[in-house]
Amino acid sequence: MPAITLYNYDLDENSFRVRLMLAMLKLEHATIAIDMFPGQEQTRPAMLAINSQGTLPVLVDGDLTLAGTEAILSYLAKAYDPARTWLPEDAAGFGRVQGWLHFSATMLENAKQARLQALFDTPGDETALRAAARKAFRIMDDHMTARHFDGADWFVGDKPSLADLTLFPSFALSRDFGIDHDEFPALRLWIRKFRALPGFFTMPGIPDYH
Amino acid sequence: MIEHKSWIPVALSTALEPGTSAGTLVGGGELVVWRDTRGAAHVWEDRCPHRGMRMSFGFVRGDHIACLYHGWQYDTAGQCQYIPAHPTLDVPKTIKVPTYTAAEKGGIIWAAPSSEAAEAAIPVEDGEVVPVRSIYIDRPFAAVLAALTNANIPAFTGDTAPRFETIADGIVIVSTGADRLLIACQPFNPTRTALHLVIQGSAETYGGAGQKHFARWAETFRLLLETASTPVAEVA
Repeated sequence: MPAITLYNYDLDENSFRVRLMLAMLKLEHATIAIDMFPGQEQTRPAMLAINSQGTLPVLVDGDLTLAGTEAILSYLAKAYDPARTWLPEDAAGFGRVQGWLHFSATMLENAKQARLQALFDTPGDETALRAAARKAFRIMDDHMTARHFDGADWFVGDKPSLADLTLFPSFALSRDFGIDHDEFPALRLWIRKFRALPGFFTMPGIPDYH
Repeated sequence: MIEHKSWIPVALSTALEPGTSAGTLVGGGELVVWRDTRGAAHVWEDRCPHRGMRMSFGFVRGDHIACLYHGWQYDTAGQCQYIPAHPTLDVPKTIKVPTYTAAEKGGIIWAAPSSEAAEAAIPVEDGEVVPVRSIYIDRPFAAVLAALTNANIPAFTGDTAPRFETIADGIVIVSTGADRLLIACQPFNPTRTALHLVIQGSAETYGGAGQKHFARWAETFRLLLETASTPVAEVA
């Protein structure tokens, strides 16, 4: 049994973020399937005993149990990426990556909610969620437009970081909730680069072919 | 098919790598813009005749584009050549995606939505260009165009006020300071318009900082138009 265990739901994009990180760091791990929809198993007593927040994903590594996608990604990068590319050591690079992790947890939450509503009929104002998701994608597209002028391919620095990893799924899955990629040319170029990284794989909603 | 009498800009040339595709709209009609692996650009109706899936979700292999659903492959003339579920089938000639004439000029990919348009010349000069960006604005074509030709576009080099020359419907040459911009407007759908911006100049002068300068202007222009409570021509 590997030391790392991931509590996972295959259609949950936050679980996919952690699955991607584990694959890109080539980390052996066990996966435990949790019935998020329709069962909401993550909010039942057995799972609350592991993660009192009642959220997915949850990562267990030896004595450490972690919830919160951004925390899990940061931990894995810190613990298992000795080259320090996914979470840069230098203060400015670290700050910038944290900035995008924050963006992913806040502005992109609208995209995550819009998708869950489209797939599972969860509550929320559909029009408002989609508009807010589109606004977030515009911010990302404007950023990558400017980055391309500097000859840069990634959101921060000259290598892929947690910024790219955490932003990728919401945009790649946007067609699930009716936002096409038509209006985001810089993001189209960027996801193509991201898909070519070693260890990359897809989840349902992201085409295998490209 | 969409009826337009002139060439329509649909993307910046640099936005489409060989072997990739992108969806777009002209007048609300869905188009796929794709580039084969030899580098030629194609513009088609964005609809697989089989199940109506958008071809822009599909994938390019060599000089064929394939539908994501069932892998039906089409050649550069839009003719279906291969159906994976029936590998030995001689595919009927009737299975064909409607195509538009496509061309690249001045850093932009253009589509001719009618034979009348295809016979005309693209109203843009050849010469060195530096791409800026495409920007999508939630305002109708006429409103964007009215605001554009009154816009305050600060120069990157020099300081004279902008002058506007409309060389075709929605195709504007802006001279500001010592700079020359081509702004080509795409009627996306009834409420949304795309602008494709290129600098007519050298990468040595405009690469990096010059591109950022005009990209920032475009983003400000979008914000002004979309947040304007007064008629857009007065604020932009």
